[in-house]
This record gives sequence, C-alpha cells and structure tokens, in this order.
Amino acid sequence: MRPASLLGLAALLASVASSAQDALAHEGHAPRPEAAAAFPIPAPGSYRLPPIKRAAGGTVLDEAGKTVDLLRRDRPGDGRGVTVLALIYTRCGDVCPLASADMARLQDLAAKDPGLARRMRLITLSFDPEHDTPEVMRSFAAAWRSADPAAPAWTFLTAPDRAALAPILAAYGQRVDAGPSGVLNHVFRAFLIDPEGRVRNIYSLDFFEPALVLTDIRTLLLDGSGTGGGPGR
Amino acid sequence: MLRNRPIPGRRIALVLASAAPLLAAAPARSDETCQSPYMAKITGLEDFVYVWTLGVEGLGDGSDKLVTVDARETSPTFGKPIHAASIGGRHEAHHGGFTDDRRHFWAAGLSDSRIFIFDVATDPAKPRLVRVIDDFVAASGGAAGPHGAYALPGRMLIPSLSNRHGTGRAALVEYSNEGDYIATHWLPTDAEPNGARIEARADGYGYDARVLPRRNVMLTSSFTGLENYMRPLGDLMKDGEAMKRFGQTMVLWDFHARQPRTVLSVPGVPLEIRWAWGPQHTYAFTSTALTSKLWLVREDEPGAWSAKPVAEIGDPATLPVPVDISLSADDRTLFVDTFMDGTTRVFDVSDPDRPRQIYEKKIGAQLNMVSQSWDGKRIYYTSSLLANWDKTGAENEQFLKAYGWNGRELSPRFAIDFTAERLGRPHMMAFGAASLYAP
Repeated sequence: MRPASLLGLAALLASVASSAQDALAHEGHAPRPEAAAAFPIPAPGSYRLPPIKRAAGGTVLDEAGKTVDLLRRDRPGDGRGVTVLALIYTRCGDVCPLASADMARLQDLAAKDPGLARRMRLITLSFDPEHDTPEVMRSFAAAWRSADPAAPAWTFLTAPDRAALAPILAAYGQRVDAGPSGVLNHVFRAFLIDPEGRVRNIYSLDFFEPALVLTDIRTLLLDGSGTGGGPGR
Repeated sequence: MLRNRPIPGRRIALVLASAAPLLAAAPARSDETCQSPYMAKITGLEDFVYVWTLGVEGLGDGSDKLVTVDARETSPTFGKPIHAASIGGRHEAHHGGFTDDRRHFWAAGLSDSRIFIFDVATDPAKPRLVRVIDDFVAASGGAAGPHGAYALPGRMLIPSLSNRHGTGRAALVEYSNEGDYIATHWLPTDAEPNGARIEARADGYGYDARVLPRRNVMLTSSFTGLENYMRPLGDLMKDGEAMKRFGQTMVLWDFHARQPRTVLSVPGVPLEIRWAWGPQHTYAFTSTALTSKLWLVREDEPGAWSAKPVAEIGDPATLPVPVDISLSADDRTLFVDTFMDGTTRVFDVSDPDRPRQIYEKKIGAQLNMVSQSWDGKRIYYTSSLLANWDKTGAENEQFLKAYGWNGRELSPRFAIDFTAERLGRPHMMAFGAASLYAP
C-alpha cells in the first residue's frame, strides 16, 4: 500500500481545485469522502452499459520510450479485460491531479479484489507530448502508481508528437486548446473500454468515482461478452 | 466537508506543483445559468446569443434557422442579428443545447424529428450546419418529437415529447457527440413502471430532463404528444378529451443506471426544470403551465424525494401559462415567464419553501423563453412558443429583448423585431463566446 495520507494537503488541493474547476465547467465537485460514495452505488449487473463507439488505438510511447499501440495488450501485466483510459497532462493545474488521484484510488480499491484486478488495467495518456516525454511520464508514474503486486496494471503513455496524437484525440472526441501560459484547456474525460474494444462509459470528474467505476467494470465482466445485450441501459 | 484522499508522500511535490496555478486566478463568472453541469463554461461576458428560430412561410427564406445576435457592447453591430444559418424548410424549431465541450449546438425539430448539428467553434459568430440526424424515430425504436439536447460526458441526452404514433408516451434517447445512436429509455407508465414507485399515476409523458450529478439523480417533466402540440391551440382547447392528454408527473431517476425510481404527482403540466446550484441545495424548481404554480422538488432524506407547490404565478384563474423559468447562480432569484400575458415575474426564492414575488414587467404581447447571465446582470427574452400556439394578428409579436437587471428592476438594453428582420419566430437562446475556443 501507499504511504499514509496527508489529509490536510489533500483537503487543500481538493478545495482549491474544486473552485478552479468552476472556470472550466458548470459541474460543482463536492468533495467526496474516502470511504463512501456521495450516492448509493447500484449493484453490478443491475443495469446495462450500451456500447457508445469503437475505442481507438494509435501510436504512443511507453515509459521506456518504446513505440507501442495505445490499446495493444503486449505490455507486461496488461492482462485481458477492461481498460480505464484517462486523458491528462502532467502540468495541469486543475482537474487532472484530481483525476489522477481518482485513478490511484481506483487502483487501490481494485487491489482488494485480485481476481478482478487481473481482469482490468488502467492507462493514463498525456496529450502534451512536447512536455510529457517518456521520462516525465516515468517519474509521474513513480509518484502515482501503487507498488502493491495485487493492484491492476497502470501504464503511463505519451505520444511521440502532435501528429501521432491528433487522430487519437479525434477518435475520443477530446478537444485540447492551448491557452495562455501553456495551459491546455480541455474538459476532463475518462473512458471505460470493454474487452472487445468498445467504449462503454465516459466519465466526467463527477462520476469518476472509484467505487462506481469498479461497479461498471464488474457489470461488463458479468455481461460476459461485454455486449450489453441490446438497446437501452 | 473535506475531500479526504490518500496522497502518498512521494506525490506531494507533484501535487503542489500542479496546484500552484490554482491559487493565483479567480476568473469572472458570466455564463448562462440553467445549463448542463457537464458543459464547458464561459468565463467572460457572452459575445453572442444564438437563437433557434422557427421559419414563417413568406417571411425571408421561410426556413428554420440558427440566428446569431451580437451581444458585444463595444461592437458596431451590438444588439443586431449578424448571421443566420438557415437549414431549409420548417421543422418546428424548438429547443437545443451544446455538447459538453461546447463545440457543437444540437437543435431539434418537433414536427419531423430531425436534429440539426451546428459547428459553433470554428467561427463562433457564424455557426455552420455540419450534420442532420434524420433517423431519430427509427433509431430510437419509435420515440418522436426530440425536444431538448442535454450535454452528458461525450454524449447528448434527447428527451422526446412523443412517439411514432403521435401520442404522449415519451423516451429519453442518447447519442454520442459524433451523432451516433446509443440507447433509448422510455418514461415509466402504470402498465410498465420499470421498477419505479408511483405516487398517483405514471403517464409516460416527457419534456425536460436535468441531472444533479452529486446525488446521481435525473429529473424529468411531462408535456403532451405530437397530436396535441402540432394542433392549433384554439381547436385543442375546445377538445375536452385532448386536453386530458397532458402531463401530470415528474420522474426521479437513478441517473447512472438510467432507471426510474419515483413517479411524483405534479398535476398541471410541469415543464422546465432548474436544479439549484448550491453544494448543499438538493432541490429543483419547476412551473406548471395549466395550473400556474411553482413547485419545489426536494430530497427530504437520502433517497426520499417529494414535490409540493410553493407559490402561485400570477392569477391562475386567468390562465397565464408559465412556460420558462431561469434560476440565478446564487439560487436566490427565479425569473418566470408567462406566455398569455407576456409578463416576466421575479421571485425571491432564497427560502425555497416560500418564494416571494419581488417584481413583474410586461415584456410583450406574448412571451416564452428567458436566459440570464451567470452574474445575473443580463436577461434575454424571446417570444415564440409553437407555430400553432403563438398569438395571431397584432399580438403575434416576435422578438428578442435584452435587459439589464440590477436586483430591483429591468432596464432595456436592446430589442430585435424578428418579423421586421424577416427571420421568423425566435425560441431557444444559448450563449456563445469566442474565448471558449483558443487560437
């Protein structure tokens, strides 16, 4: 497990980032307690997650600088199963640190169910290739990734350049606009991708609640084929 | 309440570095209220007001169009229509909304169930039609009359008013931002409650749909089907049987599961829904068109929701017909438009159980939509309800009127006569800003 919590710092970050988020989106991010979600989580399999669209691959670099495909499962520990993909950049001053903290909590929570952890993986992809080199992503990963062997794999990827990144962002509908002082304006989204390579949910920060995401993953795995079984949810 | 997250020691430097820029700036808040909470937000003044406008035969090109009104006070064309993106033909233009990244505006047609997608990012002054969804009925499995367009992450939620048979059984239909169909969720009925608890009855009608993310709930309201809303109002009101076919319910949904939980009894046709913004304010307002009341929908205890009337709007006996409401960002002020008397009323709703009218003003012979800026200082009104329900003759005023609001009274800023400009019947408004789309 990770070192002990620094709750004061976390609270400061949360409150400051929460107010700053107002500049980007209407949603207000009420702080959520660690132990429980802000609302009841539905039972796994009690609802459906209809396919939204195909999940795109694309040429990216892993933490060692090796060229790989975004969704290809040839990395150690990748396993098979469900992917949670978060798009961020490491210099981000508002929503991205909160999203990475949620990914970390998701990794910790999943580690408590090793059988589930083996059937899922986390991917963080940077959309700031000029700054977020594989070296930067490697040190970023060292700060966030759990060392718990029971935790699901979490890889940190970046693109070799903007040309390689553009089709990936287009496929996921992720707009990134350069603002003043190097800020990259974007609306945070994370994607739940089933074993068949289809997007089954898209999360804003409000619904990027680790317990809820794990329930979605269990729902997909209970679904077997991951097809969702027809129209509706 | 504090957000308690475990943050490992080795993360601290990164976290502090990331947080530092947050401590510096507190951007101005000037976007429109009453929008999807998932949407990107304007942090300065609005540059444009987009007006989804219903075409009128013989007026201009006669087609529905998205009109851009210049709202930049320093602009030489301030207060003027500067662009009209015509779509060809009339489709009963009604409501619409932006995608979550605010790059596209989806505008729906109630008569033939087409949805028109405009690119508002490439040139925010000149929206451009880039796609038409023309298989809404078939793709959705029979839903018809797409009403609004509500941004969800990467998706759009389209509440329908009707179905392929023209009755009031309605659905919520989801599309990806790219315009591809995802799913249909039918409103619960007495025969098919879909697990919902029903207070009195479940009529299955639809109108508005709004999400309160932090409670994982969605609230829907209820209007009537195509067979009624496309009918001339005078004829309709003489038809006692048809007048029974209007919504009497609101539905509280488990949003994540998209499953109805409670069908609330809200008689009198509840239309627009406005969730309060405050982090501890777990309630919404709606107004009922036929009974002229303000209703409060609130979570009394976790998971237990109720609806109750809290104020009358004008004199209900005169049938003012409240149609649109707009809640200020501080949850203290609610603007309520009534169609028949063309009047806007302002309520102090700081005590949501006891709204108190503090102001009223007749805006025109008829009145429908109201939009206000996030800072509450600029209020915009339009006039048209439905092609066959608008007034006729001299009372058929078609306008956009802009006012300033100082907390006590409205002061005129500009007005546009949409008939004189040969544009049509102005309906839904949405704010645009070039600053959303950095160079």
